[in-house]
Amino acid sequence: MSDVNQVSADAEEEQFSPHETPSLPVGQWLRKNLFSNWANGILTLLGVLAALAALRGVLNFVFSENRQWDAVRTNLRALMTLSYPESQYIRVWVALGFIVGLAGLSAGIWANWGGVSVRRISTWLMGTGALLALCVIVREPSVILGSDGKVIRSIDGSLRRESFMDAMVDRSTWWIAAVLLLAVGAALWSRFSDPVRRRVEVSVTSVVFVGLGLAVLSLWIAPYGHYAFISETKSYIAESGRTVAFSTKMPWTVMLILLSCFFFVGRFFQSGRYLGFVKGASNLLWLISPLTLFWVVLRDPALDYGHVISTDLPMGLAFGLLGGALLWGLTRASIGEAGRITATALLVFAIFNWVAAFFGWYPMLQKARISFLLLALAALLAPNFMGEVAKRRQLVLGWVGVTALVHYLATMINTPSTVELQSTEFLGGLGLTLFVALIVVLLSFPLGVLLALGRTSKFPIFRMLSTSYIEVIRGVPLISVLIFFSVMVPLFLPDGMELAELAAVLTGYTLFSAAYLAENVRGGLQSITKGQYEAADAIGLTPAQRTGFIVLPQALTVSIPQLVGQVISTFKETSLLAIIGLFDFLRVANSVIPAQSEFMGVKREGILLVAMIYFFFNFTISKYSQRLERRVGLGER
Amino acid sequence: MSIDDATTAANDRLAGSEDMIVCVDVDKFYGDFQALKGVTATIKEGEVAVVCGPSGSGKSTWIRCINRLEVHQGGDIVVDGIELTNDLRNIEKIRSEVGMVFQQFNLFPHLTVLDNITLAPIWVRKKPRAEAEAMARALLDRVGIPEQAEKFPGQLSGGQQQRVAIARSLAMEPRVMLFDEPTSALDPEMIKEVLDVMKELARSGITMMVVTHEMGFAREVADRIMFMEGGEIVEVGTPEHFFTNPTEDRTKLFLSQIL
Ligand SMILES: Nc1ncnc2c1ncn2[C@@H]1O[C@H](COP(=O)(O)OP(=O)(O)OP(=O)(O)O)[C@@H](O)[C@H]1O
Ligand SMILES: [Mg+2]
Repeated sequence: MSDVNQVSADAEEEQFSPHETPSLPVGQWLRKNLFSNWANGILTLLGVLAALAALRGVLNFVFSENRQWDAVRTNLRALMTLSYPESQYIRVWVALGFIVGLAGLSAGIWANWGGVSVRRISTWLMGTGALLALCVIVREPSVILGSDGKVIRSIDGSLRRESFMDAMVDRSTWWIAAVLLLAVGAALWSRFSDPVRRRVEVSVTSVVFVGLGLAVLSLWIAPYGHYAFISETKSYIAESGRTVAFSTKMPWTVMLILLSCFFFVGRFFQSGRYLGFVKGASNLLWLISPLTLFWVVLRDPALDYGHVISTDLPMGLAFGLLGGALLWGLTRASIGEAGRITATALLVFAIFNWVAAFFGWYPMLQKARISFLLLALAALLAPNFMGEVAKRRQLVLGWVGVTALVHYLATMINTPSTVELQSTEFLGGLGLTLFVALIVVLLSFPLGVLLALGRTSKFPIFRMLSTSYIEVIRGVPLISVLIFFSVMVPLFLPDGMELAELAAVLTGYTLFSAAYLAENVRGGLQSITKGQYEAADAIGLTPAQRTGFIVLPQALTVSIPQLVGQVISTFKETSLLAIIGLFDFLRVANSVIPAQSEFMGVKREGILLVAMIYFFFNFTISKYSQRLERRVGLGER
Repeated sequence: MSIDDATTAANDRLAGSEDMIVCVDVDKFYGDFQALKGVTATIKEGEVAVVCGPSGSGKSTWIRCINRLEVHQGGDIVVDGIELTNDLRNIEKIRSEVGMVFQQFNLFPHLTVLDNITLAPIWVRKKPRAEAEAMARALLDRVGIPEQAEKFPGQLSGGQQQRVAIARSLAMEPRVMLFDEPTSALDPEMIKEVLDVMKELARSGITMMVVTHEMGFAREVADRIMFMEGGEIVEVGTPEHFFTNPTEDRTKLFLSQIL
């Protein structure tokens, strides 16, 4: 025990060292950076006071007797999925479980997340403990409640608060937690202080798993959410017979188990023969998961099998088989100029279909238009797959897969949903926010890259088209693009062509985001030296290969920070969806909850939670991108 | 000096060889500035031709015209019987037959050494990956750095990078290798390792056209040395002729400065 005491002395010093270990001893570091002269010292003191005041303000706000956290606790489900019907709720868990499983698999396959030293963890623990202790001390003493549960006021109308000492005693649980954290942290710190053990690391993966495990465990102990409010009894209920909600502890536990299982499955494949295949499969699943989960699992389309058999299936088959045959022919080594001509003709035809649709010259199913366009693109790619049978087969199989997916999704989207709801969209809350952000990022990425390439292309026509597109979009605020797509576009569409509100919004947002993405990628493209182009030319790569293998990978690596910045802002700006009538996460907190009869006007609590969740996601993304930058940076040294 | 003289000046060992690179009256303009003024020369199969001359004389411009990194405006360039025109197919063919090594190496920094070398064989020559990798390792062995295959270019010294660049060009099994000042960006102690590789290449019988100021190298392996100035070939001859009794005053001046 004695050595723990010893170290807690320097552990205490350590809490105040703001960042990770400066190489100077703490005392010197403080003197050098914060108290180098008296003016600096005063500034430091003022800064500390201001920080304490802010912390006190936040704590007082959160724990104020005026806060109605019940509003948030009861509406947790609404915040996540809005009014997704109870009877079908299992679909939400299935969708989530799919993502969680996939995440586990990927983490397992890609796992080498590196390590974090035990020393570092011990400083985290001590830091958290110290912060907790600080919080307990700075928060003002609680208001005294009378026997009826109401606040007691003094004669002058101010609230009666308990004494400081009483408050500290009341908060003894928190004290214990803080001291425990400090003690564990300090113990680890001292155990791992000699030069050899200093380097001992635990893998990041295990830290993450322990963290998640603790979070799930806490669900079994703390009733975070309510299930419903029963006005007759004026109580919140959860499962039968209980008054506090542990309603999600089972599902979340299952999620954790899924995550771990798939993690080990991924680990198992990491060293095996099938690694390439599993990687490919998991990437593909990631790519299509938002679409399938949203439009198929959550929406549960009521298929009309007569129509499917008479129209959808034959059409999909025709595109898949005839298109595949065409591509097989186009990849023949002897095709020569005829291949280019066919591909160009197809492209012209495909584009013409859209023009015709715009003017309503002749009817055609939307998915046929999309398929023709995709086929034309595949035909343009064909020269890269020429030669060996294996490569040709890759292209043809790829085409068949894409066709199957496109037709499947198109059929599903065009079929009415069995999920019945009060609102027009069947999902809202965080689910909608995440879905929109994900889809917009996924779709705008290829489009943005194409635009950037167009803008830097040596063909004036491409350059002009992309430049004007980008400049027009960048000159218009997002909100007007969204309004345009939700209100105006349906007016322009010819009869018989309909666009769901959400689809319209996704289109608009994607087109908007692509323009900004293009500018970020262009920055990266411009950083590629002329020598790289020449070297690629000199070894005989085609322009497409040069772009795909040499230019883009480097350009994208360079623009990771900006791209991540854009992902984050895309995610945050989904809150604008509220303006055009969708119920995103923020809108639920801002207008749905305050409109409920039992929580009239209760807004701040929800908004605080929303802010925290936004922050959590964005902080994670940003941290991950730093890791990614370091990893791909290896090639640049 | 006429072409006939130049051809007769070449080594006996090339007597019966085919013409590999033929340039006739090649003109090249940058805007109004004429960088090449009627360059005419023939390089035989298996020949090692060294091009030298003062800075700005058009050496790089000429050598880069030969694999179409620059477009010439007048005259004809024929490589291995294929004429360089705007026809994309001819350009593709020539580029896959002509390897080029740059002063600044121009390796692909985001790819490992092995991937740098196998990229073109796999995607242009359509070789199976395993075969391409085996060849890449053999080439790395040949240029003396078999142990660096998994590293990234940024982790290698300049001399090692340039040798990787040579291996990358050789992986396409070119019939002609172009070198544009391959050692000028290197520290003195690394120049030798690159020149050694190039000498070994020269002995292997591949056609080489080398822009360099390394006169020791030129003396040792060149079949012919061409001296350029002001966008023209001023003098052509065997190393012996070139170093012992150059005819042109400008050559003499250049040699006195560089030797
Ligand atoms: N892209 C260009 N635009 C305009 N002028 C150019 C360009 N590239 C080269 N030149 C000019 O053409 C002339 C020949 O250049 P080149 O690079 O071929 O010379 P060089 O003999 O290789 O010289 P060095 O030994 O310095 O490499 C020079 O006067 C140069 O200024
Ligand atoms: Mg030069």
